[in-house]
Amino acid sequence: MTTRTEELLLNVGPQHPSTHGVFRLVVKLDGEVIKEATPVMGYLHRGTEKLAEDLTYTQIIPYTDRMDYLSAMTNNYVFCHAVETLMGIEIPERAEYLRVIVMELNRIASHLVWWGTYLLDIGAMSPFLYAFRDREKIIDLLNELSGARLTYFYMRVGGVKWDAPEGWIQKVKNFISYMKEKVDEYDDLVTGNEIFMARVKGVGTYDAETAINYGLSGPNLRCTGVEWDLRKTKPYSIYDRFEFDVPTQTAGDCYARYLVRIEEIRQSLRILEQATEQFPDGGEIMGKVPRAIRPPEGEVYVSVESPRGELGCYLISKGKPQPYRVKFRRPSFVNLQLLPKLLVGETLSNLIAILGAVDIVVGEVDG
Amino acid sequence: MKGLVKGLGVTFKNLTRKKVTYRYPDVPLKMPDRFRGIQHFIPEKCIVCNQCARICPTQCITLTGKPNPDPEKRVKVIDTFDINFEICILCDLCTEVCPTEAIVMTNNFELAAYSRDDLFKDKDWLVANNTNVRSENSLNKRAKGAN
Amino acid sequence: MTNDEKQHVKNEDVTAAKDAPEEKAVSEEKAGPEEKAVPEEKAGAQEKTESGEKAESQEKDASKEKEVAKEKDKAEEKAEKDAVEGEKKAKKAPAAKASDEAGKTEAEASDPPKVAKKSGDGDDAAKEAAREKAQAARAARAKAAAARKKADEEDDKPKPPSPNQPKLDRIVEMIRRRVAEDAIEEAYINEADRHLPCVVIRPSHWLQVAQLLRDEEELKLDYLRNIAGVDHETHMEVVYHFMSFKTRDEYCFKVRTDRDQPSVPSVTSIWNTANWNEREIYDLFGIDFPGHPDLRRIMLPDDWVGHPLRKDYEPYDPEV
Ligand code: SF4
Ligand code: SF4
Repeated sequence: MTTRTEELLLNVGPQHPSTHGVFRLVVKLDGEVIKEATPVMGYLHRGTEKLAEDLTYTQIIPYTDRMDYLSAMTNNYVFCHAVETLMGIEIPERAEYLRVIVMELNRIASHLVWWGTYLLDIGAMSPFLYAFRDREKIIDLLNELSGARLTYFYMRVGGVKWDAPEGWIQKVKNFISYMKEKVDEYDDLVTGNEIFMARVKGVGTYDAETAINYGLSGPNLRCTGVEWDLRKTKPYSIYDRFEFDVPTQTAGDCYARYLVRIEEIRQSLRILEQATEQFPDGGEIMGKVPRAIRPPEGEVYVSVESPRGELGCYLISKGKPQPYRVKFRRPSFVNLQLLPKLLVGETLSNLIAILGAVDIVVGEVDG
Repeated sequence: MKGLVKGLGVTFKNLTRKKVTYRYPDVPLKMPDRFRGIQHFIPEKCIVCNQCARICPTQCITLTGKPNPDPEKRVKVIDTFDINFEICILCDLCTEVCPTEAIVMTNNFELAAYSRDDLFKDKDWLVANNTNVRSENSLNKRAKGAN
Repeated sequence: MTNDEKQHVKNEDVTAAKDAPEEKAVSEEKAGPEEKAVPEEKAGAQEKTESGEKAESQEKDASKEKEVAKEKDKAEEKAEKDAVEGEKKAKKAPAAKASDEAGKTEAEASDPPKVAKKSGDGDDAAKEAAREKAQAARAARAKAAAARKKADEEDDKPKPPSPNQPKLDRIVEMIRRRVAEDAIEEAYINEADRHLPCVVIRPSHWLQVAQLLRDEEELKLDYLRNIAGVDHETHMEVVYHFMSFKTRDEYCFKVRTDRDQPSVPSVTSIWNTANWNEREIYDLFGIDFPGHPDLRRIMLPDDWVGHPLRKDYEPYDPEV
């Protein structure tokens, strides 16, 4: 008797712990092997770009918090940066330093969430707890500064809302030395682990050419050996004042992406060290901004390096208090495009490892 | 094998460390002063200027004024003031623009309710929510007061 | 200030506004947050006590004043706008004369608002200022038109000082030579955006141009950073931002298309990034991308009616 085989259609998500949000993958399976994968998204589409057309510039900033909710500071920044570029506003030194410090803290927090949840996805429980323990420290710092734990709404066009409270910079310094120790501990805990290596090494491999053609950015691009970090190659804010490396790997697999992100935490700590050292003693935190923010007619595209890649903002103003059109280039959305191609021929268990390594935030995928 | 042993070493080291968890909700959490919780409203200070309702990105504030009971004064007084916490995103803009600090932030954050209708808070509720009020609120004031 | 007088001021402003051909462009300017202490107008349950009435009439006065101020703003805006336009057009003309003239225009047009600000409370002065503004606006328009004509005569190239000008010229020349003489609708430098070279391509040539952009050794625009759809009310536009990993140059390309039957050739076969981005634009703007492998809605449900980011979008079901 011959066995009859049949393809199986399986829904991963929309409610599945490994999708980190509401995201669905329809996979066609032949046994355990994936024949085809179709991502279905939009469950979290809130129409930020449409809403923005009816809001004033200040009112839009809290909405950007909610796109990539793991690194709200970067989102705040890219929007403010776009408006400031268009209006030609000078940002005071102190505000720039505060911005860099909070963005780098936020980057570490975001990578920690990724690190914890990724390992949780592929079956390790305790790294998740360690990661969230240390991320809590960052959140406490940002909470003390901005008054919120995730949706900070800290930056304004022209500067930042709050100055650093007394002793805050010292607290950041303490955190840096604490975190340095912890990263090494993470390395010991996971990086050399044989079980972990078996799950991620050589899985989900692509080369630099594919990555560029698919428009990948951030660690997803750097894992293929392309040294591309907007903080370094097209410096914005005051990133040209700091010394740091752009970590790259050449393997292009999930393990390479893992290594890049861990190293990025170290580099962010380096930037933080310098920024807190150079932090100016006094000065304004708001530049000269007209009371009603009305950028002159024109358009601008700015992009910054978010933890997930190139986060861009394309802004068209017609001289009104509301923008004419805002478009966000959302790195999670773009990075995810390669996924269906990567999944073909992989097993279902590798799906989790590959999807996790892309590091998506569904709020950002759906906009 | 070496990697596994190394990892276990970290785990054991952590066993002896101090606990980092909170005993919430048995022990209330103390938030930093700037924390954006739920607004507190002070009707006596309100001049019904409507700025808070206008700046709110989600239009969740509705307010009406009435003529001043004192015929000498022309300023209106507040009649109703509601915030719909179903859609309020606690962005702080209302407290930031209020010229008289009639609406201020508190550090209270527990809003969970069994029904959505309970999230519609009226003036009396907001007035009664008067604990843990934040010390710095209006940017207008700060700009004038400081420096 | 009597009502008559106010009426007068308004009328004048209106006539001034009527002269303008692009009158509709000036829209409902909501009172910005800078106007403090705006009286609460919708107090429906107002008792008709004496004081109440008093308050009300004062309110009316205030609101009328506001209106006048608004009208003033309009005129101001127009003058400014015209000046800006004139300047813009003039920039395109390399002829120093044209830019000189536009400079004058600008100076003239930007003067009156200052006058208006100084004389904010005097009614007569305000009237005068309005008249002056109207005049300035008219003058600005005339000059702008003159500058435009000149700009049209010349080849459409921005004025020299931009550092990216050679790059733009180079790429324009290359496209003209390699693709088609009329492939380019417009080419300019976006000075607000770090002098980004922008080229507007006709949709019929877009695919060829795109191929050239990626494959030409000198350009190698291999990285498509962003695609955005824009509804310009008169036409639709798809905006592409490119970068080259080799030369690190950045360019912006635009393709304009008709608004009723918007269609732009898909570039998914050249840059895979375009795939989902084009789907998103199709979803939210309704722009068709012939040649796209799988053009479906991506954000909204498949049975959604309409394309929300179009400016004329009316929700099918307002409750959603
Ligand atoms: S906190 Fe923000 S959303 Fe909430 S009422 Fe105030 S302005 Fe509106
Ligand atoms: S901004 Fe302040 S004073 Fe004005 S209406 Fe709101 S609460 Fe009252």
